[in-house]
Amino acid sequence: MARHYILLCMVGLMMALTFSAIAQEHVGSAESSSGTAPASAKETPTTPAATHGSATAIAASDVAVERALRLEGEKRFRTNCGRCHQPPHKFPPRVMAATIRHMRVRAMITDEDMRLILKYVTQ
Amino acid sequence: MPLLTGSTGFITNFTGGQPDLHPIVTPLVLVPIGSQWLFETRATFETDLVQVPGRSGFHGGPVQKEVEYAQIDYIANSYMTVTVGRFLTPFGIFNERLYPVWIRNLQSDPLILPIGIGPSNASTGAMIRGGFKAHPKFNVNYAVYFSALSTVTPVNSDRFAGGRAGIFVPSVRLEVGGSFQHGLQDARSNAFGFHFLWQPPALPLDIRSEYARSIQGSGYWAEGAYRLSQIPFHQNEFRRTQVVARMQQYFVGENAAEALQPVNTKVFEFGLNYYFLDGLKGSTNYGRQFSDAGNANVWTMALTYRFVFTLGRTGSE
Repeated sequence: MARHYILLCMVGLMMALTFSAIAQEHVGSAESSSGTAPASAKETPTTPAATHGSATAIAASDVAVERALRLEGEKRFRTNCGRCHQPPHKFPPRVMAATIRHMRVRAMITDEDMRLILKYVTQ
Repeated sequence: MPLLTGSTGFITNFTGGQPDLHPIVTPLVLVPIGSQWLFETRATFETDLVQVPGRSGFHGGPVQKEVEYAQIDYIANSYMTVTVGRFLTPFGIFNERLYPVWIRNLQSDPLILPIGIGPSNASTGAMIRGGFKAHPKFNVNYAVYFSALSTVTPVNSDRFAGGRAGIFVPSVRLEVGGSFQHGLQDARSNAFGFHFLWQPPALPLDIRSEYARSIQGSGYWAEGAYRLSQIPFHQNEFRRTQVVARMQQYFVGENAAEALQPVNTKVFEFGLNYYFLDGLKGSTNYGRQFSDAGNANVWTMALTYRFVFTLGRTGSE
């Protein structure tokens, strides 16, 4: 009887060890799979992320420059056109090109002002 | 792309109780040629309709037609534009920059307008002009011109030479300048003037003023126009509304011209402009004229419109 208890205990211990080994194997495989994935995940997107980051920075810089030019153009539009009349609404680009050339002669707008105003009113 | 732009207006004056209807159309054609040339011409079609005693309604003569200017501009470089043909005389600022009915704040002409601009407001000859940044804080603009004698009505002009120069400070929106002209015929007299424009950046306020003096007479006008956009209620209406006031005075010279007042005159005017749309403006103003010939009330009502048409296909270049 005691031998049966000892045998049952030994089988139970073996099963426990087996289940423990299987469980550890699952954990190990999970860790190994999750451990390699982050590594590959870190390595794989590294180059595109860097490229994307620099492209974003350049785009953001371009946007900032464009925005600054537009704001400066608007300021000069209001300053120069408003000297004599109410600043008009925007017209199609080629209409504005002729109008601005006319105003450059009539109101003696500087070359720089003309370019910035034209950029603003045609955007 | 060539453009047909300009303005049209229907102006009603009541001077001393006498009504005068004044429809006017002023087309302006702009033809850019290449990247440096521009042909521009402006014409005026107008008539005066008045009441005739014993007849009902308003009656007028033939439509007056006039080519105000027709000029070719060559933009030589950033500093200089060369203009030849018939051009508005750049004496003072009103004739060249504020004359169109859709631009001016008050529909009546300043009393001193005829001084220094020639018999038909224009010159026939050549002009060099331009504007450039002379300093980081201000721009300089200039115009020098020569006009030949022309006796062909209505494109007549006198023989004279002159110039105008101004300084514009963009940061405070202030412009000051002066004009000079030397006659090359008859009395060979000189004329000079000064102009001043200021738009305080913090306020929707326009202040303009001119002074002119010649053998024909002298005088000044000063005008303030305030847009009521800062009133916190009914903003949609008030931001379209502008109140205007102008004071002017004219003193007869020793050789007065027909276009000028025959006696010393002083005028106070108050006006109200309402901008219905971009380019469409309704105006009304009241003025009191004081002169040695008698005082009079002057009422003006006007509806003006600025138009723009393309003479070709539109699109981005």
